Amino acid sequence: MPQFFSNKRLILLLLGVILLVALISFSLRDRDNVSLPEQIIKDAVGAGQSVFSRPAHFVTGVFDNVDSLLNTYEENKYLKSRLEEFATVQAEVTDLRSENAELKELVGKEEDLRDYNPIQATVIARNPDQWEEKIVINKGETSGVKPNMAVMTARGLIGKVTLVTKLSSTVELISTQNPNYRVSAMVLGGDKAVFGLIEGYDADRRELLLKRIDAEIELKEGQKVVSSGLGGIFPKGIVIGEITEVAIDEFGLTKLAYVKPAADFTLLNHVVIADRLTPEVDGEDNGETGDGES
Amino acid sequence: MIRYLIPLIGLVLFFLEPVFGLFSPLQMNGDFYYIVPRFLIMFLIFVSVYYDTKRAMYYGLFFGLLYDVFFIDIIGLYSFLYPAVCVIAGYTVKSIHRNLFITTVLTLVLTALFEFVLFQFFSLIGLASMPIKAFLGTRLLPTMIANSLFLFILGWAFRSVIVARFIERQNSPGMSGYNGQ
Repeated sequence: MPQFFSNKRLILLLLGVILLVALISFSLRDRDNVSLPEQIIKDAVGAGQSVFSRPAHFVTGVFDNVDSLLNTYEENKYLKSRLEEFATVQAEVTDLRSENAELKELVGKEEDLRDYNPIQATVIARNPDQWEEKIVINKGETSGVKPNMAVMTARGLIGKVTLVTKLSSTVELISTQNPNYRVSAMVLGGDKAVFGLIEGYDADRRELLLKRIDAEIELKEGQKVVSSGLGGIFPKGIVIGEITEVAIDEFGLTKLAYVKPAADFTLLNHVVIADRLTPEVDGEDNGETGDGES
Repeated sequence: MIRYLIPLIGLVLFFLEPVFGLFSPLQMNGDFYYIVPRFLIMFLIFVSVYYDTKRAMYYGLFFGLLYDVFFIDIIGLYSFLYPAVCVIAGYTVKSIHRNLFITTVLTLVLTALFEFVLFQFFSLIGLASMPIKAFLGTRLLPTMIANSLFLFILGWAFRSVIVARFIERQNSPGMSGYNGQ
């Protein structure tokens, strides 16, 4: 044992620790672009990973199918009860849509925060040590993906793009503990829309926290929360979830609401990235968009 | 041919980990259980015990670096911990008898230790805010159960491949001097 810590080894160990701390602190900084060697590694590993994830998706697909077969009866009953309601709602939606289009034409407004280009992508990996909530998808810069774009499934918002390489990108889910992760949101269902920020995630309740709501405003449980599009990067109207509880925040000045996410974060498979048509600006969805110059 | 088998198995395990990660977290009775696949490090510990600690360290450094860059974007975390675990395994096994059962137990203990160090690290930088009790119950326990299952099924296969490579190296006189460095 004594020769384990001989001089040479001790120095090597010390150098290693110093290098380690330097590297960790370098990579812990908020980076919005990845260095070239990292890009190469990411793309190479991503290519290999997508080969392995394809059969896995097949297997999970089979499980999903079996699962939905087992629930068919219950689901069918529920769906039938909703069907009549659906027909009226759909008629109303079509009517409102055409009216909206006419009115927009009348005013001469062409761009809308709601419009976006959907980019379809497949999840090729999920961070196996699930400390950070991250997934890797198989579309990157060449498909038009940029940092901070919204990522969603058919059921609702799941996260945003954090790092982009040529052929793959990393998505941080909204269930992250990262304190710098904000999404500007609004609550629907009142007389007028109520604005707030999705900030933080309660891991015990598995619910998001909607903060900075005006204390005067009354909120009810069951109201829907969607993205507001005012954060600068996300399009408007992506479903985030439903309010389950309203409370006063820690300073007593604003309200805080617990929001149950509409999307399911387990077994993610196909996702859609929203490339907003309206030009992106700096805002709360995240700090900078000006990485085009760098 | 066996020469290339060890890195190849390492590579396959590296790619399999996130695939199994897609199934986690598991939901049972409203509680969520996280299962973290740790196939690669268990294999590397086996390599370290039965073949060559130094070689295991290099593999650990390589795969750790890939892991850091691709998944967690904190360079230096896994690429330090993987080789470190291999070194500990190599030094521990010098003083004890190496049979499959003891190696399996050693591997599991080291994997649990590895998991715990990661938990401490992520708590330190503020990415995890989990009380230690919740960590033990919902993460460490299911993870260790799943990984020990994996090891009990495939441990003997790992050993036979690694031992075959070890014997092959011993039998090739030209290479042994070079590799023995």
